[in-house]
Amino acid sequence: MTRIEVTGLYKAFGLQQVLRGVDFEAAQGTCTALLGPSGSGKTTVLRSLNTLEIPDQGVVRIEDVSVDFTTMPSRKERDRLRAQSAMVFQAHNLFPHRTVLENIIEGPVIAQKRPREEAVADAKVLLEQVGISDKLDAYPAQLSGGQQQRVGIARALALKPRVVLFDEPTSALDPELVGEVLAVIRDLAGQGWTMVIVTHEVRFAQQVADQVLFLDGGVIVERGPSAQVIGDPQEARTRQFLARILDQV
Amino acid sequence: MRSLVLLLQLFLLAPLLASPAQAAEQPVVRVGTEGTYPPFSFHDSKTGQLTGYDVDVIKAIGQKAGWRLEFVETQWDAIFPALESKRLDVIANQVAITDARKAKYGLSATYTYSRGVVVRRKGDERIKSLADIKGKTTAQSSTSSWAKVARDAGANIEAVEGVTQAAALLAEGRVDAIVNDNIAILDYLSSTGSDKVEIVGTVDDKIGEQALAFRKDDPLLAQANQAITELKADGTLRGISERYFKADVSVPDGGDVSSQRGHRSIWAIVGETAWPMFLALLKVTIPLTALSFAIGLLLALFVALARISPVRALSGLARAFISIIRGTPLLLQLFIVFYGLPQIGLKFDSFTAATIAFSLNVAGYAAEVIRSAILAVPRGQFEAAATVGLSPAQAYRRIILPQAGRIAVPPLSNTLLSLVKDTSLGSVVLLTEMFRVSQLAAAESNEFLALYSFAGLYYWLICVGLSAIQKRTEARLSRYVIA
Ligand SMILES: Nc1ncnc2c1ncn2[C@@H]1O[C@H](COP(=O)(O)OP(=O)(O)OP(=O)(O)O)[C@@H](O)[C@H]1O
Ligand SMILES: [Mg+2]
Repeated sequence: MTRIEVTGLYKAFGLQQVLRGVDFEAAQGTCTALLGPSGSGKTTVLRSLNTLEIPDQGVVRIEDVSVDFTTMPSRKERDRLRAQSAMVFQAHNLFPHRTVLENIIEGPVIAQKRPREEAVADAKVLLEQVGISDKLDAYPAQLSGGQQQRVGIARALALKPRVVLFDEPTSALDPELVGEVLAVIRDLAGQGWTMVIVTHEVRFAQQVADQVLFLDGGVIVERGPSAQVIGDPQEARTRQFLARILDQV
Repeated sequence: MRSLVLLLQLFLLAPLLASPAQAAEQPVVRVGTEGTYPPFSFHDSKTGQLTGYDVDVIKAIGQKAGWRLEFVETQWDAIFPALESKRLDVIANQVAITDARKAKYGLSATYTYSRGVVVRRKGDERIKSLADIKGKTTAQSSTSSWAKVARDAGANIEAVEGVTQAAALLAEGRVDAIVNDNIAILDYLSSTGSDKVEIVGTVDDKIGEQALAFRKDDPLLAQANQAITELKADGTLRGISERYFKADVSVPDGGDVSSQRGHRSIWAIVGETAWPMFLALLKVTIPLTALSFAIGLLLALFVALARISPVRALSGLARAFISIIRGTPLLLQLFIVFYGLPQIGLKFDSFTAATIAFSLNVAGYAAEVIRSAILAVPRGQFEAAATVGLSPAQAYRRIILPQAGRIAVPPLSNTLLSLVKDTSLGSVVLLTEMFRVSQLAAAESNEFLALYSFAGLYYWLICVGLSAIQKRTEARLSRYVIA
């Protein structure tokens, strides 16, 4: 069984139809990159996976939890689906009044009711992994943008999710800080985490992603292995988009 | 000003008057007195006890005669009818001896002598007697009989409200003299310690006499006269008089011994009042503020959450509450709780009523502050809390409210500072908080400027202290918000 299965996702904001039938699957341990122009619906797809956005129609299944949005899901159903994933935000959204360590153990201890010592031990391992083990007691505001985002990643991983969702994790960063965050994400891919990542870092997607979905106007217009979609795009819209993005650099 | 004092005292007395005088098992002597007629019969501002020259005199008489006294505070208009209808046994309220009264009641020996006197600015040698006010200006209550005396003596009359105002005009040199009752002047001099004006002479040799009034042929009268004679002989009466007037008004010629009066400076008066004010601050103002603020904040939190809630009925209710609280005067809210609610059976003592009104008021204002603080927390914080698995309640408690709290501290501090000062309105619901203590002391001593300034100092100090705490709290809460 594939880890993620999305079928017939529709979503409108008012009169604006943002998603018009999005389907995709992702196998366990793979990295899926969502590419597409601004406003194409990438964030909406991602947020539909953890019900921060409630689609109008469609089915989202992660592992053994499946929610059909054709009828309004109950809060319990949504919570169950949400618990399957963790999210890394573009603006990190760390809790500013909590230290790095507290940010990371908040979910495990409070929501998942794991013993605090265990959560702290796990958090330390994770922080080591993202390379900021010396900032345990710092507040987010005392960290650089790259460090903040790496704490954001550690906070997501601490939940031991089935899937990690990233929404443009490097877009808010100064260019010189992008590398350190991408390096961490690359490591995660190597460790077998299942990930869905919205990004404009085409080169990164090409190297790290197993599959690339190219979204435009609320539908996936091209999909396939990253080498193929990025290296040899078939659709005119994909080609235009990539040309524009790669020209910028 | 005197009338304001009377009004305040009436307020205080209202509950006393309302409660029926208790019937004692053993026979007692019921003393009718106004209780609102300083310095003869009034309530001490610090203790609330009935006191005054007449009260002390009748107490001394009662002790001598072996009576058990029961004071019945009665308005002047009703006092003689009450005596006649045997609801009182004696009136101790500066009853002037007149032929008409002599015929109708059993009047005791005189215990207060009074006469008309001429008062001048200290050391103003132009005025030595009534004859000297001819062509000069005197300050008089226009309705008093002394105005006529002054006019007949050839003076121009400047109409004033009372002795205090007359003395102020005289001290400032805006009038040349006052013609008045010596007791009123002695009371003024004694209670203010003023040394700017002095009694120079008497109007004529007519002497007013005041006595106790009993029912005709009441055997108590003889006992009273016996006691008065003894009290005069042993100096008790003189002692009581000097306590109030710094002069002996219980003898016919004692009233113009005006010079050996001890001078009470403004500082002495402020010094005397400072401690009772401080106690009222500790016992009433601060607990009232703290309690109202705590309850108010808690209420405000619920109102704010209701206001944000998507449930229409809830947010509508919260909106209405906020609108009513912010759209009506705090004074009115206090009045509704204290005077209004008892009409539907909800009766609270002053402190409780004030706490309720202030809490609701704080809730109304703080709810808006808290609401906008919650809305000022970035959406991403709600979302991050949700994605780490917190329930909405957990997210509020652990993530949103602490951040909203930091945003809300400065505006909530303003609410608190306002509240500290607003507690002074508690005086209108008969709460003896700090400001009321200063009010009563000022009414007694006429040192309005000094005592009110002093009350201001107390409020200011508290607010300075609270502002310092606010700064520290803000610093503590914002240690994580480094730019
Ligand atoms: N909450 C919302 N209310 C109304 N419109 C919305 C909302 N969220 C997104 N949209 C609209 O839906 C469309 C798709 O938004 P989405 O954020 O998914 O795009 P995106 O592909 O992530 O774009 P970007 O690359 O700029 O982040 C946009 O036109 C956006 O304006
Ligand atoms: Mg987006």
